[in-house]
Amino acid sequence: MEVEPLSNGNSAAAAVPNAAAAAIAAAAAAAPSSKLTQLTESLKLEHQFLRVPFEHYKKTIRANHRAAEKEISAAVASVSEAADDGDLSPDAAVQRLNSLVSRLQGLKRKLEEGSRTEHLQAQRCRARLDHLESADMDNLSEWNNTRLKRILVDYMLRMSYYDTAIKLVESSNIPDLVDIDVFNEAKKVIDALQIKEVAPALAWCADNKSRLKKSKSKLEFQLRLQEFIELVRAENNLQAITYARKYLAPWGATHMKELQRVTATLAFKSSTECATYKVLFEPKQWDYLVEQFKQEFCRLYGMTFEPLLNIYLQAGLSALKTPFCYEDDCTKEDPLSQESFRKLAQPLPYSKQHHSKLVCYITKELMDTENPPLVLPNGYVYSTKALEEMAKKNNGKITCPRTGLVCNYTDVVKAYIS
Amino acid sequence: MELNSIKDTFDRVTKKQKLSSSKSQEVIEQLGQEIEQAVSKLQFVPGAMSQPDHKLILTELKTKLNEIAPLSQLESTQKELNIALTKYPKLLEKSFNPDISKAYRNVDFDSHTVNQIIANHFYQEGLFDLGDCFVNEAKAIEATGMRIPFLEMYQILHAMKSRNLEPALKWAATNSDKLKHNGSDLELKLHRLQFVEVLQNRGRDEALDYARTYLSPFASDHMAEIQKLMACLLWAGRLDTSPYFEFLSPTHWEKLAKELNRQFCNIMGQSHQSPLSVTIAAGVQGLPTLLKLMNVMMGKKQEWQSMKQLPVPVDLDREFQFHSVFVCPVSRDQSSEENPPMLLSCGHVLCKQSITKLSKNNSTRPFKCPYCPLEVEVSKCRQLYF
Repeated sequence: MEVEPLSNGNSAAAAVPNAAAAAIAAAAAAAPSSKLTQLTESLKLEHQFLRVPFEHYKKTIRANHRAAEKEISAAVASVSEAADDGDLSPDAAVQRLNSLVSRLQGLKRKLEEGSRTEHLQAQRCRARLDHLESADMDNLSEWNNTRLKRILVDYMLRMSYYDTAIKLVESSNIPDLVDIDVFNEAKKVIDALQIKEVAPALAWCADNKSRLKKSKSKLEFQLRLQEFIELVRAENNLQAITYARKYLAPWGATHMKELQRVTATLAFKSSTECATYKVLFEPKQWDYLVEQFKQEFCRLYGMTFEPLLNIYLQAGLSALKTPFCYEDDCTKEDPLSQESFRKLAQPLPYSKQHHSKLVCYITKELMDTENPPLVLPNGYVYSTKALEEMAKKNNGKITCPRTGLVCNYTDVVKAYIS
Repeated sequence: MELNSIKDTFDRVTKKQKLSSSKSQEVIEQLGQEIEQAVSKLQFVPGAMSQPDHKLILTELKTKLNEIAPLSQLESTQKELNIALTKYPKLLEKSFNPDISKAYRNVDFDSHTVNQIIANHFYQEGLFDLGDCFVNEAKAIEATGMRIPFLEMYQILHAMKSRNLEPALKWAATNSDKLKHNGSDLELKLHRLQFVEVLQNRGRDEALDYARTYLSPFASDHMAEIQKLMACLLWAGRLDTSPYFEFLSPTHWEKLAKELNRQFCNIMGQSHQSPLSVTIAAGVQGLPTLLKLMNVMMGKKQEWQSMKQLPVPVDLDREFQFHSVFVCPVSRDQSSEENPPMLLSCGHVLCKQSITKLSKNNSTRPFKCPYCPLEVEVSKCRQLYF
């Protein structure tokens, strides 16, 4: 394959190493464009589909295990404490042991319940694997339809449109293929943050402490800062200082700058006009916290930050976008004939073609070797199929639908497009 | 796609998880039993209620529990479970594209516009409840504009399902001119179907009346069709055994419903397939190529954010091909208004600029076509319109 100059006056594209671009182009061309390869490639995009329920499953396993460990060691400790306690009366000993027995029974019940949850979640993971496996050429359109619904549910959940999400899931009966219960966890936190309530968010941070630490998340710090600001806003300065000592100081080692800036608000009031501090008191700080939380939440579950819908929409728009889409006679079948789609595509790159692809104006079918393009005396091109049919109906006469020119079918010539 | 190894790895996780949880149950059981035994000893062994003996029993229990070492018993199964738990996500990362957002351009992707598109999608698919719920929740009130026309379309289609053509005929009559403009004979086809219905259900006389009123206006363009229909009158009541039995085929109803759907959307200025479905389907096909591109462009995120045209072609199926694109086989440039495609006298097509180059800018001197042995002249090249 020859390396063509990346032209069309496009400097950004030309900056890509030519060899590299050619390598991809070659890879794209070499891959058999069979439907099956296409299907496999599309399935490979489904990482999140398998990952999210697995993370959920893992979380339940870990929580159950931790609960068991904690209770067991508490029981052992309690026995040894009793044994070492010289003053313990026999009655008290019996009472204590009996209470231990009932605690262990309680734990047993809890673990049984936990195991049921684990089982359900494992089934969900399994159902998703089966769903991916079920995609084949025969049910492709139905499968693709379900995929669109999954993508839409993902969008609804991320945008907090829970009612629509639930309705869509119910009407299409795909509860195992979407992450409604995972997002329920997020919903509680987000709802609370929207009414300026940080406790659930802090509880969530505590629940996922080790993983948040690993990813160097500062969500907890940001939540604490906001609580501090609220104390300053209410002019509870003494309380604010106590709070800062207890909850902000531990972050000093890593986030001194932010800490200093926020504690400086003690010197200003919430009515301050000093821009550096004024912004800290603005209500949009809470929206920012919601965004931060969403990001951490997605990271934890192995989700993309962007809704899947946006990712697929962008890719689709880039692949479909041509300068012709913006012309007046753009066919209505092209999504980019619509204003809303054009608006979204506006900041995206145009697609690129290496080979001619000609669509017949009349039949909208592709003109290729089986249906070669024919040229009228006026230079207008239509497919053989379309002109043959027209000639048959009109005694060998052809009428150009765009110019009204009438000619004989024998006057048209074949064009060779390579 | 090869999912078996992934399934096996997952099965290993569930197996280890079951093992681990039954182990926990077992250990708890064991602890409980030991403690219960100690309790019964304390209560029933004579003399146990005296001070030194009950101490002894408690110490015994303590030693026993330490011997059982419940936590270290759990450790080994837990370790195996942990190994399985780390292995599975690693395998997923290897087998799938772990981050499909890599090809996402961080631009202002107006969620309000996206919401409108989604609401329209629901209405176009006939999911009116869902659409209403969404419009309400996402506060996308403007999107309700599409609700009424789509609702009308579904009412027509619904009526057609129960073999009632009245609403369809009414709509076709109102939009008769637009249908003709689109080159569609939908109106005639609807009348044809209705004529056959009348003939079957209400007899010859009424059918004849119907034909006189509704079919005659089509006489000028569709004479042959009308002749056939009139011949059907001869077989009234036994059309199924006539040469025209084909008119009774239920496929006519399905085909016509589809065509009506298409024409209705077209006249509304909409595509007949939800544009959201089309774009997402194109995205699914295009994304793998874009992700490969991103792997090559690693560290050039900035360029990706600003480039005006993709550096590689993204191959889509032909159903996504809405426009004719001519790429000059010599220069590899896409044709444009300034550089239009030209037909050489031998039948090969090149872009104007390539022809200028090949002829060394001399319009009188013939040059050899790069694709065949013929000599061609610039003056005989014709511009093409696709």
